Amino acid sequence: MIGKCARGIFGLLAVIAGLGITGGAQAQPIVGIPHDWQVNFPPSYTPLMERVASLNDLLLVIITLICIFVLALLLYAMWRFHAARNPTPTTTTHNTVLEVAWTVVPILILVVIAIPSFRLLYYGDKLAEAPVTIKVVGHQWYWSYEYPDQGNFRIESRILSEADRLKQKPNMPRMLAVDEEMVVPVGTNIRIIGTAADSMHGWTVPGFGIKKTVIPGRINEGWINVTKEGYYFGQCSQICGNNHSYMPIAVKAVAKPEFDKWVEQKKASAGLSPATDLASATAPANR
Amino acid sequence: MNMADGTPKHPYHLVDPSPWPALGAVGALLLAIGAGLGMHPDMLGKGIESIVKAVQWWVIAPGLGLILAVMFWWWSDVIAESRKYHTAVVQLGLRYGMILFIASEVLFFAAFFWAFFDAALYPGAPEQPVRTEATGGIWPPKGVSIIAPFDLPFMNTLILLLSGTTVTWAHHAILEGNKRDAVRGLALTVILGIFFTGVQAYEYINAPFSFRENIYSSTFFMATGFHGFHVLVGTTFLLVCLFRAMAGHFKPKQHFGFEAAAWYWHFVDVVWLFLFFCIYWWGAGNAPIALH
Amino acid sequence: MATAHGAAHDHGSHAHGHDEHHTPTGWRRYVYSTNHKDIGTMYLVFAIGAALIGATFSVIMRLELLQPGVQYFNAADGTPNGHLWNTVVTAHGLIMVFFVVMPALIGGFGNWFVPLMIGAPDMAFPRMNNISFWLLPPAFLLLLASALIGGGVGTGWTIYPPLTIQQGAGMDLAIFSLHIAGASSILGAINFITTIFNMRAPGMTLHRMPLFAWSILVTAFLLLLALPVLAGAITMLLTDRNFGTHFFDAAGGGDPTLFLHLFWFFGHPEVYIMILPAFGIVSHIISTFSKKPIFGYLGMAYAMVAIGVVGFVVWAHHMYTVGMDVDTRAYFVAATMVIAVPTGVKIFSWIATMWGGSIRLEVPMLWAIGFIFLFTVGGVTGVVLANAGVDYALHNTYYVIAHFHYVLSLGAVFGMFAGYYYWIGKMSGRQYPEWAAQIHFWTTFIGVNLTFFPMHFSGLAGMPRHYVDYPDAMWHWNYISSLGAFLSFGSTLFWLVFVVFGGLLAGRKVGANYWGEGATTLEWTVPSPPPFHTFEELPHISPAAHP
Ligand code: HEA
Ligand code: HEA
Ligand code: CUA
Ligand SMILES: [Cu+2]
Repeated sequence: MIGKCARGIFGLLAVIAGLGITGGAQAQPIVGIPHDWQVNFPPSYTPLMERVASLNDLLLVIITLICIFVLALLLYAMWRFHAARNPTPTTTTHNTVLEVAWTVVPILILVVIAIPSFRLLYYGDKLAEAPVTIKVVGHQWYWSYEYPDQGNFRIESRILSEADRLKQKPNMPRMLAVDEEMVVPVGTNIRIIGTAADSMHGWTVPGFGIKKTVIPGRINEGWINVTKEGYYFGQCSQICGNNHSYMPIAVKAVAKPEFDKWVEQKKASAGLSPATDLASATAPANR
Repeated sequence: MNMADGTPKHPYHLVDPSPWPALGAVGALLLAIGAGLGMHPDMLGKGIESIVKAVQWWVIAPGLGLILAVMFWWWSDVIAESRKYHTAVVQLGLRYGMILFIASEVLFFAAFFWAFFDAALYPGAPEQPVRTEATGGIWPPKGVSIIAPFDLPFMNTLILLLSGTTVTWAHHAILEGNKRDAVRGLALTVILGIFFTGVQAYEYINAPFSFRENIYSSTFFMATGFHGFHVLVGTTFLLVCLFRAMAGHFKPKQHFGFEAAAWYWHFVDVVWLFLFFCIYWWGAGNAPIALH
Repeated sequence: MATAHGAAHDHGSHAHGHDEHHTPTGWRRYVYSTNHKDIGTMYLVFAIGAALIGATFSVIMRLELLQPGVQYFNAADGTPNGHLWNTVVTAHGLIMVFFVVMPALIGGFGNWFVPLMIGAPDMAFPRMNNISFWLLPPAFLLLLASALIGGGVGTGWTIYPPLTIQQGAGMDLAIFSLHIAGASSILGAINFITTIFNMRAPGMTLHRMPLFAWSILVTAFLLLLALPVLAGAITMLLTDRNFGTHFFDAAGGGDPTLFLHLFWFFGHPEVYIMILPAFGIVSHIISTFSKKPIFGYLGMAYAMVAIGVVGFVVWAHHMYTVGMDVDTRAYFVAATMVIAVPTGVKIFSWIATMWGGSIRLEVPMLWAIGFIFLFTVGGVTGVVLANAGVDYALHNTYYVIAHFHYVLSLGAVFGMFAGYYYWIGKMSGRQYPEWAAQIHFWTTFIGVNLTFFPMHFSGLAGMPRHYVDYPDAMWHWNYISSLGAFLSFGSTLFWLVFVVFGGLLAGRKVGANYWGEGATTLEWTVPSPPPFHTFEELPHISPAAHP
């Protein structure tokens, strides 16, 4: 047990150390990972997540106050009306004003919540148009990403075994490092079109404010716009069988020119001449 | 309510202890294991696999047999008790029970209708490309030829509606103490029920599609199949009532067993109307007709 | 609340009733039983047994999650066996839902106290009552077998296809288990509704009926209307798996999300099925130990009705991320949040009942007050999740696990324990030992909060559910969770030994109404334990009883 604890701590130290050492070697910083003792959402890396977080901040205040209010009433009643202090109970069983109040006030609170909530819901729904579309496909147990507007090449993204991770990407956290990240340009609206090959999977990156349950035969659409360069990690968020825990999502956000460079390189290695057919963004999902 | 000494001072029926419930539960367990084995003969290991393969679906016989036996014993008890203990209040309770049971059955069918409408209303939504490909974006799906609604199915509709009237005839006869007409009405109803099942069987045998084919055939057979099963149950129930009517069990003021059967029968009838209008008729769309 | 006037019972009388002569003894008394109290007892024993198994699974899970890396769930070749993990989680969820909470609250306390509270001599259909119980052991056996046969069922309790289509033979046994448990519940629901509608004592109008009976009435309606839909859904799952149908298979024109709709049309009412009876129990306890009638009785009753009704039209809040149309999502956001209003009415009415009362902090009261606060905590995180926009970030994370354990493990289970302490003297004739009960309450209270509060944090940090392992940074909160789980499990074992066995064997004997003045419902007018048959002469409820 001690050993395990130590391992956890050392793993962490390694990550921190890795961050320091690789600052120069790795062009992109590692941004989107969970942190020790984290108690709230990660920072927001997309405009959508900013709004998600701000709604959650509002909700957190409201629900904390409600809980404190209920707790305070309970504690006060337990103390003030304890049999020792209040031997004869009242017989009050009605109080119209109170009853109306505790019906109406919650309704008002809910209305206060509902307004930003609906705004967020519609904001996060779909994009009218996006310069980049990426088709995300969940497989048992890895992800593949297709870039229909960039020549329709496809990459596959698999978790690195521990041995490989320590060799190739020691600065990336255990369970999250993959062989090939999904690459996106920063500051660009990116349409995400998700589907799955075999069972459902869940595509998400904390800090992006997006989670899409991808389903065989169905298309599930959302969007991101990453504000900051770096590596971001998420984990499959829909139970999908044996290696559900081991199909992380890794996103590398790079500057636009670098993205274009990467695209060219991918196209070349996929044997696609530059600027070939522009596959439609709404191409049917694979089967 | 105070009755004469020696009887409880309330109108309820405190049923005697009975072995049937526990035995029925054993039957359910055996049936489930049997059905599991029927689908996966190797489920319980290689040892009995060969035996299971030899007997095939007969593996469900012990469970099914026990359940049927328990039903027989249990309801025999109920019938015997009914003469003595089914006071007006107890009968009212039985009425509640039957209505509630039918309500739960309605929701059971709702699941299958939900499946049907999910596919029939949205055969080609843009976010469901694979379904669209499978159905061609139309309902009934491309390549499906259907059973003509205003042919045998319509006749079956009429048969069931007619059986609704014959069972009501029997009911009025019972209310008037007319045993002869009650028996006639019930017998006619049972015959119509059997006739319906026969037509349905013919339709199944000659259907232009099979259970396994696609979402059309799946929803069609699931919904009509469960309805058919309910027709069988209802027919049996009415048959029991027929025997009971012949034995003179039903009195103008005490014949809940019959009423329950009649309610059940009407429920089965209404489900059929929905099947007929939604699946056979509306669901036929412009598909070519294969079975007349 | 209704009060009994005059002779409500004739204890120990054997003069009449045809069935007196047939009362069997020994094992037949239980196996053949048509007595609501004996059947209730069997339900409770069954639920406690199932709870120990379900809790053991959860402790095994917490043991694994104590540390990052995979400690125990390894396949023979040393690679992590995520499927085994999923199997254990699924068994834990299904056991807790179908074989612990429902049997204990509805079958156990419902059977024992609905007839007693409404002044009925038994349930409407005593023999059917018995099969409702006896269907559970086969269902439970099938569920346990499903975890062992054909590689186990590693799908989560929500059994979504296509993953369920890929499972082995165990999946079909699990489906049959749910069929049988569902049939048991539907028959039970019919029985409760009929009993309550048809067998209330003279003078006990619905508007004078104790709130626990109300809660069971509403619950029974939810069962009656929700479970058949699940039965239909899993039947289609069965034929998709074994007979080549295409309900949930897009390639054949089906739709996987159809199953989700059907499941949650059942599943959401199901969560209220698990909590409403606890609401009922808590109402009685708060009133008893505040020595005051319940505040806003009618509002309390109709709040439950409202929760039940609205509970049927909010199901898709479990499906915000599957790609439903945005307007549909908006509707479900609104409908879901509405439920906070009647629930708030209940919370505040409980507090108002305490207000001005003469409060005794006996052990049942501790559980009831604990319930009110912890359920509120779980409820308000439900409201957070109801906001689809935020749910994108939280769906399928430990935040959801935290939410529903607060309403279940700290809500429904607190209700169960509250009911146990409140009524065990009535049921057995012997009171629980105070010292052990205090220890049990405080250790469980601390244990479950330690377990589940940190899950909000790991959930916000993004930890997904159904994971056998987690990134090292998630370690601390998981470590604390696990310690909490060990504490609450230890506390449960302590309860079993010292409170249950200790109390039943050596507890102080108690009279008919051992809580005194505050306890006004009819069960307190019969001896503890009540005679085999109660209310052979029906009690009369005076119209003046309710203000
Ligand atoms: C009522 C329901 C219930 C209860 C009580 C619990 C109790 C506990 N649960 Fe569970 N849990 C679920 C319902 C419940 N759970 C469900 C539905 C899921 C989702 C499954 C899925 O995804 O498929 C889940 C999932 C789940 C997970 C997520 C697993 C994953 O996604 O990978 C975890 C992880 O820690 C967990 C832990 C625990 C722990 C430590 C307890 C501890 O609190 C247990 C300690 C024991 C007790 C507190 C007492 C138990 C009660 C009694 C002994 C009854 C007494 C009887 C009478 C009074 C009559 N549960
Ligand atoms: C007893 C069981 C129970 C209960 C009572 C509830 C109650 C509620 N639940 Fe919960 N829920 C579950 C059990 C339960 N839930 C389970 C098991 C799951 C996970 C299933 C799975 O995926 O495995 C789940 C999941 C779940 C989700 C899906 C999350 C996801 O998967 O992404 C959502 C989303 O809307 C939700 C919402 C709610 C709401 C709004 C309530 C409301 O009813 C709560 C109302 C109560 C209050 C709000 C507190 C008291 C009120 C006041 C003090 C008044 C003032 C308050 C306000 C104005 C806010 N629940
Ligand atoms: Cu893929 Cu979980
Ligand atoms: Cu819900």
